[in-house]
Amino acid sequence: MFEKNTWSIVFASVFLFMVGVFATIILPFLDDEMITPTANAELRNYEPGSPEALGRQVYIREGCNTCHTQVVRPVKADLNQNLGPVSQPGDYVYDKPHLWGSNRTGPDLMWVGVRWNEQWQKEHLLDPRSLVPDSIMPSYDYLSEEDLNNLVAYLMSLRPAQ
Amino acid sequence: MFSKAENSAAKNFWYSSIFWLIISMLAGLVVAIKQINPNFLGGVPWLSYGRIRPIHTNGVLFAWLSMTYIAALFYMIPKLLRTPLWSERMGNITCFLWNILIILAVITLASGITTGVEYAELILPLDIYVAVGVAMVAINVFMTIAKREEKQLYVSIWYFVGSLLWLPLVYVVGNVPSQLIGGAPQANMNWFYGHNAIGLWFTTVGIGQIYYLLPKLTGKPLYSHKLSLIGFWTIATFYVWNGPHHLVNAPIPVWLMKAGIIPSILLIIPVWTVLANVVGTMKGAWHKVSEDVGLKFIITGSIFYLLACLQGPFQSLMTVSAVVKYTQWVVGHAHMAPFAAFSFVSFAAIYYAIPRITGRQLYSKSLQNWHYWFSLLGFIIFAFSLWIAGIIQGFSWINGDPFTESLVVIKPLLVARAVGGTMMILAQFFFAYNIFKTVTTGARLETKKSMAA
Repeated sequence: MFEKNTWSIVFASVFLFMVGVFATIILPFLDDEMITPTANAELRNYEPGSPEALGRQVYIREGCNTCHTQVVRPVKADLNQNLGPVSQPGDYVYDKPHLWGSNRTGPDLMWVGVRWNEQWQKEHLLDPRSLVPDSIMPSYDYLSEEDLNNLVAYLMSLRPAQ
Repeated sequence: MFSKAENSAAKNFWYSSIFWLIISMLAGLVVAIKQINPNFLGGVPWLSYGRIRPIHTNGVLFAWLSMTYIAALFYMIPKLLRTPLWSERMGNITCFLWNILIILAVITLASGITTGVEYAELILPLDIYVAVGVAMVAINVFMTIAKREEKQLYVSIWYFVGSLLWLPLVYVVGNVPSQLIGGAPQANMNWFYGHNAIGLWFTTVGIGQIYYLLPKLTGKPLYSHKLSLIGFWTIATFYVWNGPHHLVNAPIPVWLMKAGIIPSILLIIPVWTVLANVVGTMKGAWHKVSEDVGLKFIITGSIFYLLACLQGPFQSLMTVSAVVKYTQWVVGHAHMAPFAAFSFVSFAAIYYAIPRITGRQLYSKSLQNWHYWFSLLGFIIFAFSLWIAGIIQGFSWINGDPFTESLVVIKPLLVARAVGGTMMILAQFFFAYNIFKTVTTGARLETKKSMAA
């Protein structure tokens, strides 16, 4: 029936597409769970220009999110790894861009700030295998002192609200 | 450079795509080696893992696959409509601009200038650039359709038209407004984009090419036009809903996960229509597979398409996702559609079209066979290593073993992955050399006119 009429194909294709967009893209914005900030979100709402905000930019520039997730799921794989509290949609309200990641080539960093101290983080970035012999993380020894300190400040800020 | 000759735009897009195929797969090999030896090429910021990896993904998707797809559109649509491409010159300008775009993309990504959003790493000016490029392709195609001689629209045209309508919508939704917002809604839009770029561009143009090439290579008409239309409308209905299945068990509302999982399972319908059509068309022609490497690529590609689309819905189930998500399994799965399914189909298209465009016989059938076998065996080694590694990792995390313990266990599998990957790349060198020799020194086809069917 449509074989000769291009316009009906065009119209139906775009209409079906828009239905899916409405359901999976627009509706989530109307869900309070998705857009209401939690106390954790407030901790991740960095002042522009603060070491944490600058460190986050280094994290993005170096593509840390290609290997590390920032999501704790309510499943055994995450709970048994003691990753910390299960993350909520509202924890990320100020995460722009989001850094959830899709692969754990390295461990999850959602609450990495409670696991190690500043000294450890810095040494680990410079020479990962000196602290974790089996690590496959590259050395970030090419970062400037300033970038390094900012990145450590950002990592240390990743912790749950009390 | 901006020739008006028939098929010149398709030819230039195809040549460029082969160049970028090699470059972006080499970037993939670099990241595979870095997972075994983290100090490989160390100390150079623009060669660091986190910057090369987006060059690999964007390179394969935007440079290789998208350019070879545009070439296929520019070659197949005029043939199916018995109408020349609306503007070869505009097509060639698009090709030139697209190459510049890729160079700018490589430079920015290597410099760490990125949005940080996976698969949508290009910064806003480059996003606008992409949109302009896609618009130029779409205008050329739609004008050709408007001026067509052939009134009947063969089903490949449906798939091509749908793809060119959906791609700009998917791209804009995934790249522009999502930069203004953050958090969970942005993650949701990220995967809307990530999944639909595959579903409503790479899959649909790929199927259109299968439906074009299969009758040409077997000399038989397509088994069922109706089946292919059912496939088209079920893709149009279900695919766009699939994004949230990438965030199963993640911090999004449960209703949204379910809205993603159910259509994922329903996607088995269009996959089945494609496979039924392929098998139906092949009936009585299976013996041709052993003689024709192009047909080998199409049949193998179709089988991997089926496997990818059975694995996808399986992984989207909450219990399965709880084991394999975030592991190397996902990496194995993610390579199946772009490489083993749709790159294979694209190889067949290039082997079919280049001799017809240039009037030269393929330089070497044995190199073509090497291309096939190295691609296939390389991919099988690559994918099975990652699937096994992923399952080991998943259960190791569930066991509560220390994270690095799983890394030690899967290390031999990561080595196997790099070996498989090296074979996959080696295959592409056979391919590129074969096409290069065909174009430069291949024997002239005497019956050029009758070949240009």
